Amino acid sequence: MKRLCIAACLAAASFAVAAAPAAAWQPSKPIEFVVTSGAGGGTDNFARVIQSIITKHKLIEQPIVVLNKGGGSGAEGYVYGKGGKGEPHRVVFGTNNAYLLPYVAKLGYKFSDLTPVAALALDEFLIWVNGSAPYEDAQSYIEAVKAKPGSFKMAGSQSKDTDQTLTAMIQDATGARWIYVPFQGGGAAATQLAGGHVDSNTNNPNENIGQWKAGQVKPLCVFSPVRLAKSEPVHGGKGWGDIPTCKEAGLPIESFQMPRTVWLPADVPADAVAFYADVLEKVSKTPEWAEFIARTAQTGRFMKGKEFADFVAKDEAANAKVFKNEGWVVN
Amino acid sequence: MENFASLLHGFEVALTAHHVALMMAGVLLGILVGVLPGLGAPNGVSLMLPLTFTMDPVSAIILLTSLYWGALFGGSTTSILFNIPGEPSSVATTFDGHPMAKQGRATEALSFAFLSAGFGAMAGVILITLLSGWVARFALKFSSPEYFAVYFMTFASFVGLGGASPLKTIVSMAMGFALASIGMDSVSGNVRLTYEFDVLLAGVSFLIAVIGLFGLGELLQTMEEGLRFDGVKARVSPRDVLATALKLPRYWLALLRSSIIGIWMGITPGGPTAASFMSYAMAKRSSRRPEAFGKGEPEGVISPETADHAAGSSAMLPMLALGIPGSATAAVMMGGLMIWGLNPGPMLFVERPDFVWGLIASMYLGNVVAVVVVLATVPLFASILRIPFSIIGPAIVVVCFIGAYTVASKEFDIWLALAFGIVGYLFKKLDYPIAPLVLAMVIGDKAEDAFRQSMIFSQGSLSIFWSNPLVASLMAIGLALLLFPLIGSTRRGIRKLVTARAAKA
Amino acid sequence: MISRFQAEIATALATLAFGLVIVVGAREFGIGWDSSGPQPGAFPFYCGLLIALASLGTIATTVGRRMGGSAALAGIVLDREQAGRVLAFFLPMLAFVVLSVTLGMYVAMLLYLVFAMRFQGRFGWLPSLATALATAAFFYLGLEKFAQVGLLKGPVEAMLGL
Repeated sequence: MKRLCIAACLAAASFAVAAAPAAAWQPSKPIEFVVTSGAGGGTDNFARVIQSIITKHKLIEQPIVVLNKGGGSGAEGYVYGKGGKGEPHRVVFGTNNAYLLPYVAKLGYKFSDLTPVAALALDEFLIWVNGSAPYEDAQSYIEAVKAKPGSFKMAGSQSKDTDQTLTAMIQDATGARWIYVPFQGGGAAATQLAGGHVDSNTNNPNENIGQWKAGQVKPLCVFSPVRLAKSEPVHGGKGWGDIPTCKEAGLPIESFQMPRTVWLPADVPADAVAFYADVLEKVSKTPEWAEFIARTAQTGRFMKGKEFADFVAKDEAANAKVFKNEGWVVN
Repeated sequence: MENFASLLHGFEVALTAHHVALMMAGVLLGILVGVLPGLGAPNGVSLMLPLTFTMDPVSAIILLTSLYWGALFGGSTTSILFNIPGEPSSVATTFDGHPMAKQGRATEALSFAFLSAGFGAMAGVILITLLSGWVARFALKFSSPEYFAVYFMTFASFVGLGGASPLKTIVSMAMGFALASIGMDSVSGNVRLTYEFDVLLAGVSFLIAVIGLFGLGELLQTMEEGLRFDGVKARVSPRDVLATALKLPRYWLALLRSSIIGIWMGITPGGPTAASFMSYAMAKRSSRRPEAFGKGEPEGVISPETADHAAGSSAMLPMLALGIPGSATAAVMMGGLMIWGLNPGPMLFVERPDFVWGLIASMYLGNVVAVVVVLATVPLFASILRIPFSIIGPAIVVVCFIGAYTVASKEFDIWLALAFGIVGYLFKKLDYPIAPLVLAMVIGDKAEDAFRQSMIFSQGSLSIFWSNPLVASLMAIGLALLLFPLIGSTRRGIRKLVTARAAKA
Repeated sequence: MISRFQAEIATALATLAFGLVIVVGAREFGIGWDSSGPQPGAFPFYCGLLIALASLGTIATTVGRRMGGSAALAGIVLDREQAGRVLAFFLPMLAFVVLSVTLGMYVAMLLYLVFAMRFQGRFGWLPSLATALATAAFFYLGLEKFAQVGLLKGPVEAMLGL
């Protein structure tokens, strides 16, 4: 029921956007970019790169102030967004946690307190193992885990968040069992794997690239429907494009990706939503953006309106299913 | 030797007029940011970040690191003059730095702080130069049990210090731990102890606690005693700075010990805050007159400052070589590295030697520039204390509340700072120690996370804390630190008893 | 006016209450020890418990020493003159906080500094006003313009269009 409403509401919102004449609204004072992660986090980089592109190409006349509100896994930023009801000068940057957090923790906001604007990229997830581990493909690693259930360790950032969700999905799909160890962030998960303290992690490309270059970790497969874009070789002659998808590698998981999303508070003028969607679409077409996407090995995909709403509905359903199975849902 | 050649190359990169100008600008901005309340080094660096998007990475990192050094120095300044630590790592500097300032020895305290900080930073950089490869491999050995052991060591070195009532010490430290656990628990994904108040979602920042407990609490205390700052009597002349500098070599043992503690905590990585607390504790323990500490003992300023900066600069190594940011500021800089198109990690040294060695060379130069600049400003800052209290008192109040608000732009934090101010006043009045509370707030949640991660690793078995030589020796040092004062006091007690008996007999 | 004994007991009661609040809040998350170590509530629970027990201990020893006729405890911890000085500083500070959240921090800063300098420091109107305005301007330029950090603003800033 909840999902249906969200889809319908999003569709309605997108309809309103489509109907409004573009650029009828202009910011009249400095704009706040609210980042739902601490300084230096993935969302922080996302927002600051967009800020730098907007500034460089003068896409918005007003100055932009970036505010980090990463408390409560980002909930602090969304609650702050909720507090700006009807205020179109407050733009919130996040991931799919905008609509997933309220499932797993009692927080001071609901998804309906936010107005969807756009998504600009999909961050990818891979299975990584230590560089000296004897596994060359995902299948042989999964078999090894199945042979000794409960003794392999999977590192990830935070609890009941994307990494643990993905781990649960893999466990469901294959019957393998890990001990999931939550760390503060992807960086810690990467060094723990490089140091051989855990057996694998499901980090985003950007979180593990330094260790991969040094051969301390190696990727087994990527949870994307198609292979990643070709790139320069990273280590041992292999680049991002050479990593098989997990589906190819025999794991029955179609895809698992994390959208990089942008939101406004509830009850803002449809014109304002259209204005930001338009600016962000321009951002997504700049060479600087393409360079950022390539460097962090994300998949560039601009979504707004109906397309974004459909994506959110589908992503929410897939994640909610895992949350229910794992017993994480709080209300 | 190979490293030395690389360093020379680094100096070629860093020693251009353009870069030295950037260092000066960075240090000056940093001091401003450090002195301005609430704008600590992490904020300062993230504010400057957009300006660096168009620079080349070497210039950009030189600007940001110089700003960091400047902010660290600025933070010590406010600790000493107003008892308001600008950075968490300068909390320990207030213990003796502020009493010195109150006694009219502000110039001496500031000069000692700056000079020893510069010494510590140099020690850290030299270590990076010599041992970069080895340290990077060593830090990889650290997992959750080792982290916990490092935090345990810090606590252990600090417990049993000071003469406060043990019950009151427990109340203070446990309050710090409890406050630290408010908000998101990253191990379980639960939001704890918010009692459904949204304002508590992000937890209680220790910065707010520090502003209230130290800044406002101190002011109330000062008012009650009807005291004024004795700064009026302080002579302020550049000659005093020089005189202090000449006294510094006397403290060579403290400098050396604190540098080692700082470097160790920087690369392990316990961080600058833990380093400064631990160094202060060690100085007091090994001193021949521990009773002078807390009342304006120069060694109580030199030790934490040296360790703080040694840790701060050596912590750059794990950031560059492993991508582990040792502090909030390092995390922001890492974000910057990524935006400039660099990937921190073991290969950065191989792929971008220009950048890495340019940065290391700039750390030598930047710290020299920073020490010179701040020493030149000591007389200026020390003369702030000459301003009448009816101006400076309210001005500090304004500064404290501005600082509290700018930590997270939350109205609630203003009220929280006021509450902490009252708590600080009461605690001081009734001899509750405040330092354990702050220490517990700063590293309490990290220690808890590390402990619970270790328990997940071992599936609930405590034996993980002596499962390998590294963690076992760290734990052993921690236990020794914890038990020594107990043994010492029991032995003294027994001896007293024995002599009493002997006297009777 | 207030004896050390009263102050000790009141403070210990306050920390006792704080400890109990933590204990109650922590119980919600499980305080036991399972296969993956302590449950999320365990750590805060025992911290809360420790605070409560240590506070009770403080009360007990304080009462014990009082019965034993400790002179230090009977002594005055805050006399009328001291209380007056503390309040003279604390009340304007409280007013500053209240004004900050209602009128914005810049206006509160102006009023507070002028009040403290003119009526408590006995400076003339001119230096008081000049210092307050200069301070506010300094923070405005330094924070809003240079560092792009906003402070709480109220109706006056809105009127001036800042």
